[in-house]
Amino acid sequence: MRRMRLRALIALATIAVAPMPAHAHLVETGFGGFYDGIAHLAITPADLLVVIALALFAGQRGTRTARMVVFALPLAWWLGGLIGARWSVVTTLPLLTTLSFALAGVLVALNMRVREIGVAIFAVIAGLLHGVVNGATLAPGGASGLALAGVVSAIFFLTAVLSAEVTALPAGWPGIAVRVAGSWIAATGLLMLGWLAKMAR
Amino acid sequence: MNVKKQRGRPCAVLGATLLMLLPVLASAHQEAGQTAGFVAGLAHPVSGFDHVVAMIAVGLWGAVLGPPAIWVLPVAFPMMMAFGGLMGLLGIPVPGIEIGIAVSAIVLGAMVLVQVRPPLWVAAVLVAIFAIFHGYAHGRELPAGGNALLYSLGFVIATGLLHLVGILLGEAHRWAMGRRIVRAAGGGIALTGLFFLWRAVVA
Amino acid sequence: MKIWLRGVLLTILLLLTQGVVAHEMSMAEMELRQISPTEFLWRWTASGNRPAGEVLKPLWPAGCRTEQALLRCGADGLRGTLAIKGMGQGYSAAMIKVYWLDGQARVYTLASGRPKVHLSGSSADDTPQGAWSYLYLGIEHILLGVDHLLFVLGLLLIVQNRWMLVKTVTAFTVAHSITLAVATLGIAHVATAPLNASIALSILFLGPEIVRRWRGESSFTIRHPWVVAFAFGLLHGFGFASGLAQLGLPENQIPLALLLFNVGVEIGQLGFVLGILLLERAFRLLEFHWPKFIERLPGYLVGTLGAFWTIQRVFILLRGAA
Repeated sequence: MRRMRLRALIALATIAVAPMPAHAHLVETGFGGFYDGIAHLAITPADLLVVIALALFAGQRGTRTARMVVFALPLAWWLGGLIGARWSVVTTLPLLTTLSFALAGVLVALNMRVREIGVAIFAVIAGLLHGVVNGATLAPGGASGLALAGVVSAIFFLTAVLSAEVTALPAGWPGIAVRVAGSWIAATGLLMLGWLAKMAR
Repeated sequence: MNVKKQRGRPCAVLGATLLMLLPVLASAHQEAGQTAGFVAGLAHPVSGFDHVVAMIAVGLWGAVLGPPAIWVLPVAFPMMMAFGGLMGLLGIPVPGIEIGIAVSAIVLGAMVLVQVRPPLWVAAVLVAIFAIFHGYAHGRELPAGGNALLYSLGFVIATGLLHLVGILLGEAHRWAMGRRIVRAAGGGIALTGLFFLWRAVVA
Repeated sequence: MKIWLRGVLLTILLLLTQGVVAHEMSMAEMELRQISPTEFLWRWTASGNRPAGEVLKPLWPAGCRTEQALLRCGADGLRGTLAIKGMGQGYSAAMIKVYWLDGQARVYTLASGRPKVHLSGSSADDTPQGAWSYLYLGIEHILLGVDHLLFVLGLLLIVQNRWMLVKTVTAFTVAHSITLAVATLGIAHVATAPLNASIALSILFLGPEIVRRWRGESSFTIRHPWVVAFAFGLLHGFGFASGLAQLGLPENQIPLALLLFNVGVEIGQLGFVLGILLLERAFRLLEFHWPKFIERLPGYLVGTLGAFWTIQRVFILLRGAA
């Protein structure tokens, strides 16, 4: 039992350190770079889930926090994207991106009372992380800065709309539905971690 | 544009936005393999009857227990089940899985039938243990390859929707007639569990 | 607002426009004439300052190769992806005209934002599936048509309540659907250069009206925005029609393709309106307090770009006339 756990830990650590080659999958909508970026967000579940979870969490924490996250997340993402595109370390960092959205999901499910600065810091770290991966995947695929702009605009839109709606939810059932959504995201992340460990072995 | 000051209906808008995202997640991908992964994930929890009845039983019991259990269970269950799935995927040995799943259906069904209302933490721990069994079984069965993330997402969503079915059925509990039906359903689930237990032990 | 701030804003906006107006650079034209089931004659028919053949390099579908002006394709015929290399350096777009042996013709447009097209292999392949692609093309046309979207944004900035919004958007939709159909079916025709100039003017027209709204003043446009939406909608419909004409229509199913193109345009437009409304609602719910110049940025964007395009397109018009 103990050895098993150790092996699992080693497996997880291996994925974290040894980055997988980025399979540059850039969707071409045919509508140009900006819309390709939006499409890229839509079909990259890890990115979409972290944005949804963070937006829901920011909304749970109230308008002040939501106002911060609405700017912190896209800006950090954009910065990360620039870094990733400039120094294209060819990597997808699946363990870290999975951990980030799973953690965000857990926070939503538990409706954790985190102070607004904490939420903002989490948003910045998650944004930087996913942004770097985005930049590193998009740039070799021949995407322009417009694609990154598309990704970031879509994130801004999604965060603003989702978090605003959550802040305005009436008490009772709807708030619980948000927590259930968070728990689903967390569960997906946990299963994904298992997959990653299995694939690494 | 200054559309008149109105608080509007956040629930409706939020629901609609999330619903719009779902099919995007599911089908926007041009590569058929990805969509197939999501659909396969959705289908998996429904494929085993023992799982289906246990998931519905969780919802039913939640409704019988009333608030706050009615929402603690559906929030906690997916995460615990995913934890079990994680253990299954890592290959950590857990004995008696088939028996555990059958027992979970028996116990949960019996709870609904006899209308047992233990303290919340007891119910939560009980359901959490069962959740780990179910998740573990799924974790072992999950096919390799394909898009793991979309598969997992589909899997979790299908499980959650089964809870929802249970909770909605359990809402009938408010009426005298409905209460009888809910208890009968609990009895049926317990019997199904007995059948699976017999099969797990004999076969 | 302080004068210097206005100056800065104006400069930024003017810089922005440089990126947006790319679609009025020169366009190359290629002719592809089918002479046997697998052979085509190809040549550049229209060029800009530098000959198109020097700048642009066609990448033919797999199985096709050229021998000077002759293009030989395999058993599949002219089927697959055609791309053009070198787009964006002097040429922002290329029009590919394909004349099939059976007398039908098809036109494809490539642009730097859309550097490849799928060729269907023969005119007979313009089946209903072919027509369905016009739904997609309609969405594309509106989403990339910044001038049309800006006009809609201007209308949204003027409209005051929900009922007025519904009336205005409906009026714009009805009006541009009418002229799109009228122009595409060949009942009426408008020359491109004056049309573009007047579309720009319609955007510029909304600028002062938006400023009147800020000041709490009233005007005919503010009281009845749907009338303005209808009137200018007629113009924008002709604009959509010229876009559709550039794409070319399958000759045997013009009405279906026209309908689907129109539906595509409406889908894109409604999506845009819905997005703006959702965002505005989100800002209100989150109690954002913007500095005044940010709050007014969309209005300035409409006015400045409208003015810029008007000047630019009138200039093109006059140069063309001279």
